[in-house]
Amino acid sequence: MKEFVLELAKRSVERGVGLGFDDVVAKVVSNEKSMVKVANSQLTVAQSWRAVNLELYLTRGKRIVLVGAPVKGKEDVERIFSRIEDYIKSVSESEMYAPLPEPSGKPLEGLVDPKIIDSMYRSPELIAEVVSAAHGEGAEKAAGTLTLDVERKALATSTGAEFYEEGTSIEVYLRAFYKDSTGHWAYGSRILDMSALKEVGRRAAYYARLVTNVVDVPPGRYDVVLSPLVVGNLMELVASTASAFAVLAGFSMFMKFKRGDVVASEKFSLIDDPLQKSLPGSTGFDDEGVATSTKPIIKEGRFENLLHNSKTAAVMKTESTGNAGLIMPHPWNVVIPAGDFSEEEMIRDVKDGLLITNNWYTRLQNYVEGIFSTVTRDAVYRVSNGEVVGVVRRLRIADTLTNLLKNVVGLSKSVYDVRWWEVGTPSKVPYVLVRNVNITKPTV
Amino acid sequence: MYEDVLYYAVDYGLSQGAVYVEARYHRHRGSEIVVRNGAVVGAGMMSKEGIGVRIVYGGALAFSSTTDLTREGVRKAVDKAVSLARSSKPLVKWVHALSEERVGKSKYEVLVKEDFENVHLEDKVKVLVSAWNELPKVLREAKLASLFEEYVEVVEEKTLVSSDGAHVESKTPRVFYWANMVLTHPQRGTLQRFIELGGSGGYEVFRSWRIRDYLAEEARNIEPVLLKGIEPPREPIDVVVGSEVVGLIVHESAGHPMEADRIWGREAAQAGESYVKPEMIGRERIGNQNATVIDDPTIPGSCGFYLYDDEGVPARPRYIYYKGLINEPLHNRWSAAVFGTSSNAAARAMDFASEPLVRMANTYLEPGDRTFEELIEDVELGVYVKSYMEWNIDDIRWGQRYVGLESYMIRKGELAEPVLYPALEFTTKSFYSSIVAKGKDLRFYAATCGKGEPAQGVPVWAGGPDVRLRRMRVGVAPK
Repeated sequence: MKEFVLELAKRSVERGVGLGFDDVVAKVVSNEKSMVKVANSQLTVAQSWRAVNLELYLTRGKRIVLVGAPVKGKEDVERIFSRIEDYIKSVSESEMYAPLPEPSGKPLEGLVDPKIIDSMYRSPELIAEVVSAAHGEGAEKAAGTLTLDVERKALATSTGAEFYEEGTSIEVYLRAFYKDSTGHWAYGSRILDMSALKEVGRRAAYYARLVTNVVDVPPGRYDVVLSPLVVGNLMELVASTASAFAVLAGFSMFMKFKRGDVVASEKFSLIDDPLQKSLPGSTGFDDEGVATSTKPIIKEGRFENLLHNSKTAAVMKTESTGNAGLIMPHPWNVVIPAGDFSEEEMIRDVKDGLLITNNWYTRLQNYVEGIFSTVTRDAVYRVSNGEVVGVVRRLRIADTLTNLLKNVVGLSKSVYDVRWWEVGTPSKVPYVLVRNVNITKPTV
Repeated sequence: MYEDVLYYAVDYGLSQGAVYVEARYHRHRGSEIVVRNGAVVGAGMMSKEGIGVRIVYGGALAFSSTTDLTREGVRKAVDKAVSLARSSKPLVKWVHALSEERVGKSKYEVLVKEDFENVHLEDKVKVLVSAWNELPKVLREAKLASLFEEYVEVVEEKTLVSSDGAHVESKTPRVFYWANMVLTHPQRGTLQRFIELGGSGGYEVFRSWRIRDYLAEEARNIEPVLLKGIEPPREPIDVVVGSEVVGLIVHESAGHPMEADRIWGREAAQAGESYVKPEMIGRERIGNQNATVIDDPTIPGSCGFYLYDDEGVPARPRYIYYKGLINEPLHNRWSAAVFGTSSNAAARAMDFASEPLVRMANTYLEPGDRTFEELIEDVELGVYVKSYMEWNIDDIRWGQRYVGLESYMIRKGELAEPVLYPALEFTTKSFYSSIVAKGKDLRFYAATCGKGEPAQGVPVWAGGPDVRLRRMRVGVAPK
């Protein structure tokens, strides 16, 4: 498969250069993937996919054209090019055009776990272990998915890049049910670690059962401990709005800030880390062939870096950060450095507040001002004088991202590799304690 | 297309021991243009094409897809589905089955007046660029900080065959437009408006939107909110909700909780469950006589248009809530079998690589008989929420929040000063029980509805009339 995808990428570039295009990038990605889904502790569907897709970037006279299509062989490449000649003539020059940079990337080795390849069609057996772990911890039923993926990626460019990278990944998440309560946990990695998988089941069940007496919480401002799932969801949003394209398109809180501005508590840093090999976003080269690197978006509270490809870098008169995206730069892996709190100390530090273990449906009223809300799901616990005293039904965090970031007072020593339905970017993040967070719920 | 390969997949699947096999060739071909601040960023052509195979085997449901459109390719896809179904045994506790249905043998196509390919790319670009030039002319004090636009045209073609006799071919062109507009003022900060338009048909649909005028009117209307918007009163007041917000509300709090797979728990770890329990269907009320919500895939020109679903079942309108009664959940053949009923043709798959799930099509609140003036004429003090930006709803579709964008005070029966970020936060029951009057104009809005794992986004319309709600407390988003 390595030769197949690399040859297709190289062939595409040769064809593009031969037809007189100024810049050509061809990325060919082959995925073999399986997924199982359970609900009510029963398997509801088992799925598998096999696809080879070509992403092609072509420019001529500062006109930019992107093409995405499945490919089986060279004849498909020919067919694609036969449609582009006429098309590109009528495309206007791009305001963001920049010549392709020289390739500097170096494929990462060691991104493959053979156990994932071997288990590709045994995923039902794997999730059975996760469900069993949840039941073993006292869950009455469980729902979730387990996904295995083998990705083979080839990149060729008219500037000379010819890169190949192969990686595996696993994503598993489970929601455990106990009486009227639920708990949820997730794991995303390049490594199939059975103990981590079982921990997903155990921790989901633990949160479903921690306490079961329901207490009421009026709307107001509270100190909150956010679990890694919540931190992963909200900081993926912050990291994605650090894409320079998001800034240019009006979708970013960083439109208001310049490098060095205080945007968060000094205890808080947010890093894009493509070199963290255990996380599924790891890679040694971006979609323009530029070397990836570890970089802070926020460093000790100060805004440090936007994420760039060569085009956004040209518009903003800076250098690429190795985050292409042929049009939109994006984070590879979100990493938040650990703090010095144990998880127990974090709870003990809360006099009147909440432990929020999961959330979803984060939406913004205004990206520039960072005005957002998100709904809690699964276990939310009332914490009083350092003790968990009851479970609270669905609430909403309704605040601004800058308030949230500036009010961080502590991070846990432990960090977790999380990825699930609401955390698409692989993340390694801790629990985070935030003061004075606005909490709402229905008034009628 | 690829009929011989599809029938081969069905026959081969049956020969391997499957009791049901469905094979769907599914292609999307289209193009897009991205424009920022009146200048083209780039253009693109996309194609997604493949075959998805779903089987019931040994009591398990399995799905596999491939981009290899040969017999060899689909044979491997069927083999993988069979292999997964076999290894599913430890977790299969009850036998999966699909409901018995009269499936269709049909071919249909959405006809266009103006083919996308007959309109020059430069003409499409001109329309997008013109908005950037026009908007500053309508703004008085605020500046247009950013205008991001995306135009997408796509033709979806499908051929579905199944072992129980379905054979449905369809062709549906659609066009979409998205815009993100940011207004800024040195003292008042920024205001953001996101616009999404969509429909099925040809380029004539895009033309009918008159993008430049549409955006100019939006900018003209929201600028006063940025410049002069006040906080809403804190005491309970009458609330009039515009059709754009009503459409979103019924999509979120009627359509989603009435998806039968969600009621059963199949989406529990993803999009969540439902406040609706099986025993409530046809028995319990969620609202008053004004609460009739319909989902209808057969509306011509709609985003969610289809005549047969992705399991071959003929489409029809579904009365989700009927005069306040929790009435008819959306079903595909899997959920219909679980509930011991019939499918009402709600099976939709995003693309060839997606299993058919229970989905909405075009969901709307049945309109009433009032003009807008009649809705507000006896409101002494109230707020009118015409459009929104932020919204969300909990995972059982009960507690929800909508934050107004273009919003006004109502004083003595007339619209008054603009309101900044009024937040409506209520439960599903309180909304459907609070509708005291409905406008007579039914309007639809385009959206992309997300569900499933891997997440599937499908085009839908959501709509309704303007409605008046009884008094409630209105919050405000933090700034």
